Amino acid sequence: MSATEAVSQGAGRRLSLTRGSQAALFVLAVVLLCRLLGAQFEWLVKWPAALTVPMADWMTWLVGGFLDVFKPIARTFTFLVSYPMEWVGWLLNAVPWPMTVAAVTAIGWMIGGIRLAALGFLGLMFVVFTGYWSQGMNTLALVAVSVPLALVMGAAIGILAFEYPRMKGAVNALLDIMQTVPTFAYLVPLLVLFGFGPVVGLIASAIYAAPPMARNVLLGLERVDTEIREAAVMSGGTRRQQLFLVELPAATQQIMIGVNQCLMAALSMVIIAAVIGGFDDIGWEVLQTMRKALFGPAFLAGSVVVVFAIIIDRMSAALAEPRQPQNRTVAYGILAVGAAVTIWAVLAGWPPSGVAAMDGLAKRVDEGVGVFTATYGTTLDSIKNTSMFYGLLPLRIGLAEAVLPFTWGFAWTVKHTAMLYGAALLISLILIFKGRVTAAVMVLIIAYIAEIGVAHLAWPVVILGAGAIGWVSGGWKLARLAVILLSLILISGLWERALLSLYLAGAAVFACAVIGGLLGLWSAMSTTAWMVLRPICDFLQTIPLFVFLIPVLMFFQIGEFSAFIAICMYAVVPMIRYTRHGLVSTPDEIIEAATASGAGKWQTMFEVRAPFAAPTILLGLNQTILYAFAMLVIAALIGTTELGQLIFLALGQYDVGLGITAGAAMAILALVADRLVQGFAEERRQALGL
Amino acid sequence: MTDKNSTAPAIAVEDLWQVFGENATSALRDARGAGDDKAIAQTLKDKTLIPAVRAANFEVKSGELFVIMGLSGSGKSTMIRCISRLIEPTAGSVRIDGEDILQASDKRLIDLRRHKLGMVFQHFGLFPHMTVADNVAFPLKMQGAGKAERRARALEVLQMVGLEGREDTYPRNLSGGQRQRVGIARSLAVNPDIWFLDEPFSALDPLIRRQLQDEFLNIQATLKKSIVFITHDIQEALKLADRIAIMRDGEIVQIGTPEEIVLHPVDDYVAEFSKDVPKGRHACVESILMDGIPDNMPDDPGIKIGMTLDTALTKCMELYEPVPVRNAEGNVIGAVHPHELANALQAEET
Ligand SMILES: Nc1ncnc2c1ncn2[C@@H]1O[C@H](COP(=O)(O)OP(=O)(O)OP(=O)(O)O)[C@@H](O)[C@H]1O
Ligand SMILES: [Mg+2]
Repeated sequence: MSATEAVSQGAGRRLSLTRGSQAALFVLAVVLLCRLLGAQFEWLVKWPAALTVPMADWMTWLVGGFLDVFKPIARTFTFLVSYPMEWVGWLLNAVPWPMTVAAVTAIGWMIGGIRLAALGFLGLMFVVFTGYWSQGMNTLALVAVSVPLALVMGAAIGILAFEYPRMKGAVNALLDIMQTVPTFAYLVPLLVLFGFGPVVGLIASAIYAAPPMARNVLLGLERVDTEIREAAVMSGGTRRQQLFLVELPAATQQIMIGVNQCLMAALSMVIIAAVIGGFDDIGWEVLQTMRKALFGPAFLAGSVVVVFAIIIDRMSAALAEPRQPQNRTVAYGILAVGAAVTIWAVLAGWPPSGVAAMDGLAKRVDEGVGVFTATYGTTLDSIKNTSMFYGLLPLRIGLAEAVLPFTWGFAWTVKHTAMLYGAALLISLILIFKGRVTAAVMVLIIAYIAEIGVAHLAWPVVILGAGAIGWVSGGWKLARLAVILLSLILISGLWERALLSLYLAGAAVFACAVIGGLLGLWSAMSTTAWMVLRPICDFLQTIPLFVFLIPVLMFFQIGEFSAFIAICMYAVVPMIRYTRHGLVSTPDEIIEAATASGAGKWQTMFEVRAPFAAPTILLGLNQTILYAFAMLVIAALIGTTELGQLIFLALGQYDVGLGITAGAAMAILALVADRLVQGFAEERRQALGL
Repeated sequence: MTDKNSTAPAIAVEDLWQVFGENATSALRDARGAGDDKAIAQTLKDKTLIPAVRAANFEVKSGELFVIMGLSGSGKSTMIRCISRLIEPTAGSVRIDGEDILQASDKRLIDLRRHKLGMVFQHFGLFPHMTVADNVAFPLKMQGAGKAERRARALEVLQMVGLEGREDTYPRNLSGGQRQRVGIARSLAVNPDIWFLDEPFSALDPLIRRQLQDEFLNIQATLKKSIVFITHDIQEALKLADRIAIMRDGEIVQIGTPEEIVLHPVDDYVAEFSKDVPKGRHACVESILMDGIPDNMPDDPGIKIGMTLDTALTKCMELYEPVPVRNAEGNVIGAVHPHELANALQAEET
């Protein structure tokens, strides 16, 4: 660290270095090393190909052997599961739609009265009119079989972790992996295991949907009041009686939240799993129409998905709340009406698979979009191009390469590089003079990133940088974790793709942090704003990931920018929510104390609320990061070149090793980012004594 | 298993320790060398462990009503959790009817809890997903009683605590006091021999509390259970207890009859509890009996062993004649009888 000391003494003042500035100086030293010596020693910038390990091949070999062993069991399972799936599918398709609509309406009535009854009725009638009834029912059949599977699996895992606290750490790690590894990555081994067909989608969605259930069961059990637990013990219940007669029922509310999340995850995944095809469901429909650029039908099919999602979400969420018993007669009445309409429909010869009265609408939407893009095409293009040329592209490949006469009007030369670093040095000197060493060093590092671009960052900078951040946020242990995990990607040969993923996710997270932070601030200041934003947030969180691609495609076509927008749309929500929540949930006494000291509205906001909200906002950022990575893989469908793309490639080529390695690399990126931010959130929380 | 001994105390606690924190057992073992109990406790505290019960020794005789008192956080609840083995004591022994409960197998524990032990929880511990009747009948269900039998018994005990008519509501729809009574009813349902009550009347208003205390004494007079009763309220303790244990910081500082506690507190902490207690109402004449018998005494007021000091005083006053009462100018305007004076100061209770 002699270089760091030299720098700090060069400032000519006695500065006590904080942990943050020490880390920043260390990274700066690495940056200098790589920047200055990178030309001579190429391995400093680019990991030599000779040293990469064919991890994908090893994986293929390793997992392949493993899969071969379990294949017979898995195939039997496929065989067994395909029956209930076919039965449910057959049942849902065979029952005439008026009857199904009536049944859902009646259920809605029983759960949540007139509000949910209306939701169920209107929603399903919409599906009927789109003409996607039978595809919709096929999707529901998948959900109907995968959800019980996920519920049982999740509950079992949750109970296991609760009963054997020693396993809790392992179980939590497993759940983290199940949720961070992109589903597409394990779709490949699942395909090998379970054979081609809808069962794979079903199992993938069960795996994806089990963790939220497990977490909520565990949380619910842990939150059961000690005395309730003890009362069961003192009544002389056996452990099993305590668990099933007292503790689980007492945790019902939390568990129902788990059921709700499980349902939503399963639906989202069933739609996504349609990429493997083989089943005439709504996800497939969306994908097909999207590929053919038929935006009207894609839009309608997407709407069907959204309608399902909203109905399932609201109804299962209502189950988690205490409710008034509803009048059964009304429900029977609804069913009777349904039966009557059914008979009439059969007599009148209505088409059994929906009415498709909206084909006209689809065409209208199509035309509308056509007209819109034709009219505003130049505007849309200029939005897209401006963001690409002046934002995303420089971030990716650096100013040195992105600045071209064709877009920027001049070519980047050594002179500009000197100017860039000169300006950075000036700013940083000013900052040092003000005693803000960390910020000063950060400016220099940022200048380096701006020149080189994220995709061309030297690997020591990324890995040691992550290690340094880890050290600041969570000590040596976290630093070690970050370095080791990232090194794995490095030697696996997926490094360049991983940097591209990092760049796209990073750009999206940055945009979300700024936009979401501002929107969150706005909704904290104004209730009207929140009244508008809240339903939008709810909506964005309800709809399956896949659907985000439709509107983006409609307006911006295939490409990185569309992917970027789709990621932002999905990942911005937690940022808004947590920022607002953090800002408005400052304890009243503290606000009153600030007001009593004469602080104005904005002063209170920045001096009192914001510091207090920091841990919550950081948690929001953390969520945003995870959301961004989740969406990254989906967005790869519409044109990116990063890891997500590789995962799709593997899926197409049936390449187990590549799929798993690329998926693992993606999961590592998400996991490391997650832990780093969580470390900061934890540190803030402790500093505030929360 | 220890053989059962009919003369054994209902509960015998010996050198019982409960230390909360990481590696409590080994920490306690290491700390044993530090000296007396205080020194051990201090050593543990220095390691940021919490000695919630330290070196407790006492017995509860069969049919005795044993009250534990102490400030909040002094370890009362922890004590009965140890005795009922809801938590595993760090060290020491607990015998119930002569049987070492800390050695009992899981099966034996379940058996004991089903048939012998009952507990009322400080915060009631009601099952939120069950109706009042189902809550009360739950221990019976564990015993394997039939549905009709359970229901009948539940209604019976609910009536006992004055909750008839509320059997099909859910706990969340009851007031705090009503919930507490459900908790009491539940612990009564199986008619336990040994009964742990953790501040069972704390959420009740004074009127109902008095009523339930009287009811409680009635039950106790006929059923003669062995009871460990926790309370904050010295009046309640004095009214109900056969013996009282006072706890401070996990330590039992004094065990004695209500009278001993009131008249001979071992230190200021105990004295503080009974500061506001009218001593004459609880102490009996034997507590202040002189050693020798003086030669000449006035007329015999008829004082007997077992009389409270208040009653004795009234009796003595009867020996006097009425005395004059004067106004501000010093003129006699009436008379009072000293006996009446003493009587008026005494509460209506006997
Ligand atoms: N599970 C536990 N883990 C750690 N400490 C505990 C635990 N249970 C109790 N304690 C501590 O033990 C001490 C005694 O608690 P206990 O509940 O026995 O007090 P108490 O006398 O019943 O008080 P109160 O009158 O308020 O009910 C307290 O300092 C408490 O913080
Ligand atoms: Mg207590």
